[in-house]
Amino acid sequence: MKISTTIFILILSIFIGTSFIEINSYKPTLLKFKVPKGWPKPVYYFKNNPLTVEGFELGKKIFYDERLSKDSTISCASCHQQFGAFATFDHNLSHGFNNSLTTRNAPALQNLAWQKNFMLDGGINHLDVQPLAPITAENEMAETLENLINKIKKDSAYRAMYKNAFGNELINTQRTMKALSQFMLMLVSSNSKYDRVKRGEDSFNLPQQLGYEMFKQKCASCHTEPFFTDFSFKNNGMPVDKTLNDFGRMKITSQTSDSLKFRVPSLRNVALTYPYGHDGRFFSLGNVFEHYRSKMQPMVNTDSSLKNKMNLSNFQIGQLTAFLYTLTDSVFISNPMFAAPKNYSTTIIHNH
Amino acid sequence: MKKINQYFLVMLLLALSIYSFAQGPIIHIEFKHMVGNKPLILFEETYTNYFNEPFTVNKFKYYISNIILKGQNNTLKLNLEPKLIDEADSSSKQITIPKPNFTIIAIEFTIGVDSSYNVTGIQAGDLDPLKGMYWTWNSGYIFAKLEGQSDSSKAPSHYFSYHIGGYKITDYAVRKIVIPIKQKSLGDTNFINIEADILHWFNAKHAIQITKNSICHQQGQLAMNLADNYSNMFTVIANK
Repeated sequence: MKISTTIFILILSIFIGTSFIEINSYKPTLLKFKVPKGWPKPVYYFKNNPLTVEGFELGKKIFYDERLSKDSTISCASCHQQFGAFATFDHNLSHGFNNSLTTRNAPALQNLAWQKNFMLDGGINHLDVQPLAPITAENEMAETLENLINKIKKDSAYRAMYKNAFGNELINTQRTMKALSQFMLMLVSSNSKYDRVKRGEDSFNLPQQLGYEMFKQKCASCHTEPFFTDFSFKNNGMPVDKTLNDFGRMKITSQTSDSLKFRVPSLRNVALTYPYGHDGRFFSLGNVFEHYRSKMQPMVNTDSSLKNKMNLSNFQIGQLTAFLYTLTDSVFISNPMFAAPKNYSTTIIHNH
Repeated sequence: MKKINQYFLVMLLLALSIYSFAQGPIIHIEFKHMVGNKPLILFEETYTNYFNEPFTVNKFKYYISNIILKGQNNTLKLNLEPKLIDEADSSSKQITIPKPNFTIIAIEFTIGVDSSYNVTGIQAGDLDPLKGMYWTWNSGYIFAKLEGQSDSSKAPSHYFSYHIGGYKITDYAVRKIVIPIKQKSLGDTNFINIEADILHWFNAKHAIQITKNSICHQQGQLAMNLADNYSNMFTVIANK
């Protein structure tokens, strides 16, 4: 009995010992999410998707991988370019699969941890399910989730990365989307001149200062600090483009009161995100100001603050523009952490 | 040595008995899909609905969840994740559940996916959006899908396509149903057959003709009406 007890304890201890090693071989490095000083708490629930260096790196590889699209030519980064604050630089609409065009102007990807719903109509209710739309849309990446997962499974580099990020080689939609979220959540833009001024590290020149004062009076009720959007949906008197017939939020809520309502865009990095408007119809800030002071067509559900258009002089527009240019975050758009992974092929050039 | 062997034998038996105890007795549930009194055969067979509209079925799948077994005085709530029942995948049509220690007189379940799964981001398993039961552009699960072709449909290729969903209060299409068991044999129940008759999609609480409504691809009144209808499609039969 004594021998058997000894053997039993021995086996038991080996069992416990090895299972302990097994559990602890998965040691991802936690990645800290920093909330800029004075900003509210993020709305993203990090506990369901803890940020790790491995998860972030996997998400970045997926974000920059053109194989995600049906014909392996379009990645997330094709339309969300870092040098354009992760919008499509200098494009009113973006280019999708097989010479198709999107129907909306690609928004900048920044400060997504504070955003409750996504898309210009708010139709998507969680960051983790957002990429499903552009990946599967016929006029964007046009790929099926089944093909996408199969392509990833075939790549041994991916298998190793999923294991490092999630503990084993299981590759599914959930892990793929969570990794993408991890990358996108880290895209925090909080280092513009405006932010430095707010932190007391810099100061506005006179036009910027006057522009800021005017901005607070005339624009901030919708383009609210610190995100420069209140994330709401507004009708701002832009008549429908008859070739697109995009009525915005009404498609999601089926309420006529939501006709032609689109999300108030953030003005962070606004100097880089032209053209403007949900369909990119305004090619410069000048066009936007012209819209608000004369060309807009107020409708029954146009926001009350815009019913009588905006009273803006050329002088005021100059000052507002000076201020808006202080929202450009050169640290964000050149941060190597968000750039394409090193082994990423940059030889493919698109004639977009 | 003999003693050691005996010891391990005892340990093995103990482990096995614990395992089988944890398993416990089970009931097999099998889903069977019908169109009237004919069994559903995808693509091949042409059926006729109440309005004399001919149709074939290419796709038929739906989520069930929150299964509760009801006895005279007892209930057993099974905490299962929503389960996708797909005519095209025979393994999906069979599930096993623990057997209660009372006679089942009714079974309750919901057709659809509770709102919590619709608002908390990306899910896995049967709820993986890869299963084709998810609206990507207006987040939310498609609770049930019926697709096919009908000469009565004015849609391209005479398709008719019903995708039902809606977890928000204004277009809520989750349906809870309680179905009394049509007891075929008295006594111990080991098998439960749940039959779903597709004809109820067109005519139960609401009359829905293919010619008038050949496409439902979003939440709203039509989806809710179809959900009302198909919540009447089940019959439950218990077997020994």
